[in-house]
Amino acid sequence: MLQAHSFLWNYFWVAPNLFLLVLAILIWKRDLRRQFPIFLAFTILSAAGQLALFSADVSPSVTPENFWRIDWATLLIESFFKFLVIGEIFSRVLKPYPSISRLGRILVSGLGGALVLAAVLAAAYSRGDGAFQVISGAHLLDQATFMIEVGVVVFLFLFVAYFRLTWDRPSYGVLLGLGISACVHLATWAVMTNAAPTAHQRVLLDLLNMATYHACVLVWFYYLLVPGKVVAKSPVPLLENTLDVWNRELERLVHP
Amino acid sequence: MTIAILLVIAAALALAFILGITVARSLQISSGSGLAGQIQPLDIEAFRNLVDPREDEYLRRRLTAAEFRLVRRERLRAMASYVQVAGRNAAVLVRMGQAAMTGDSQTTEAARRLVDSALMLRRNAAFALLRIYIALAWPNSGLAALPVLQGYERLNGAAMLLGRLQNPAAPVRISAQL
Repeated sequence: MLQAHSFLWNYFWVAPNLFLLVLAILIWKRDLRRQFPIFLAFTILSAAGQLALFSADVSPSVTPENFWRIDWATLLIESFFKFLVIGEIFSRVLKPYPSISRLGRILVSGLGGALVLAAVLAAAYSRGDGAFQVISGAHLLDQATFMIEVGVVVFLFLFVAYFRLTWDRPSYGVLLGLGISACVHLATWAVMTNAAPTAHQRVLLDLLNMATYHACVLVWFYYLLVPGKVVAKSPVPLLENTLDVWNRELERLVHP
Repeated sequence: MTIAILLVIAAALALAFILGITVARSLQISSGSGLAGQIQPLDIEAFRNLVDPREDEYLRRRLTAAEFRLVRRERLRAMASYVQVAGRNAAVLVRMGQAAMTGDSQTTEAARRLVDSALMLRRNAAFALLRIYIALAWPNSGLAALPVLQGYERLNGAAMLLGRLQNPAAPVRISAQL
């Protein structure tokens, strides 16, 4: 069951990507494509890339070198689009608040630079996990991109929480899925790249990655397609005694 | 191996934080009310006194260097408490303003202004706190909390306008005197 190429393994590799394609179709049909064009592109490209990689894995005509080339290409495209998706969510969240959007952009740019530096340093000090440069390099790239992704996603959650901004449900769901997936993947790739696990432990870590990604795809389904609980957004009245306190303070300011 | 341990710990903490935010968000959605009661009144006159550079100059002239540093640190700690309260009030007002954006156009505009002012104040409060903590280490450095005081005054005005629009029956004496 918990072996490479077992039914469970194949299911976890293929099913989330088929679900992603279904999600893309539903996003398109429900007219969410205007709100999340980059996320839509991500779902299609990521699913297509992973399904191509799976086909390369099971096809006897694909050489190991070509498999890793496809892996590299998929990884680069997926990573690039993930960061674009994070940017899309960031813009959506900050758009209604011009007074802090510039600060947010400056902070995220600075943090992004620092995270790239940290990821490069971590990669430089990592031992690598294979004799083949192409495999070791792919794993280091995985570790680096997930490091940056985790940092940026956590920053975005912190920023919104600190300023008490409101999330729209789909944006929150997209970022939540990316965040959970990035955290689990960072931990597993860090172990795979630096701790020399056995072949069986690698398979278990792979399964954990794939199962987490599957869960995250379901999170995206839930937040993008299931309507949220309707909460009557009644204005919170400013209490009379609060107004009295402000009156008093303002009077003291104007007529000291 | 050390890198693996560090990255696994960082990833676990990040995951716990993200899941914690999700739980807090769902609790927040189900609770909703009681915001206005969270606002803490702030004695603006005392705050103004604390951030007044002339007061500091006066103390500097009257006290010895060691005494001044001691007094200055006490004033900075008090100032930090005021800034924290102002920042917390701003956070409450952000949520109140957001909740009020569903009214008529005049109320929505007032609420939008309130949210803008509150966000600016919260931002300034964070920077001011940072500078206050630095000033605690170097008590002779310049003061930092003046923008927070000015922001709080603007915020008061925005909140009062929204309060009047939401609750026209409440007596707002200041408008009659201006």
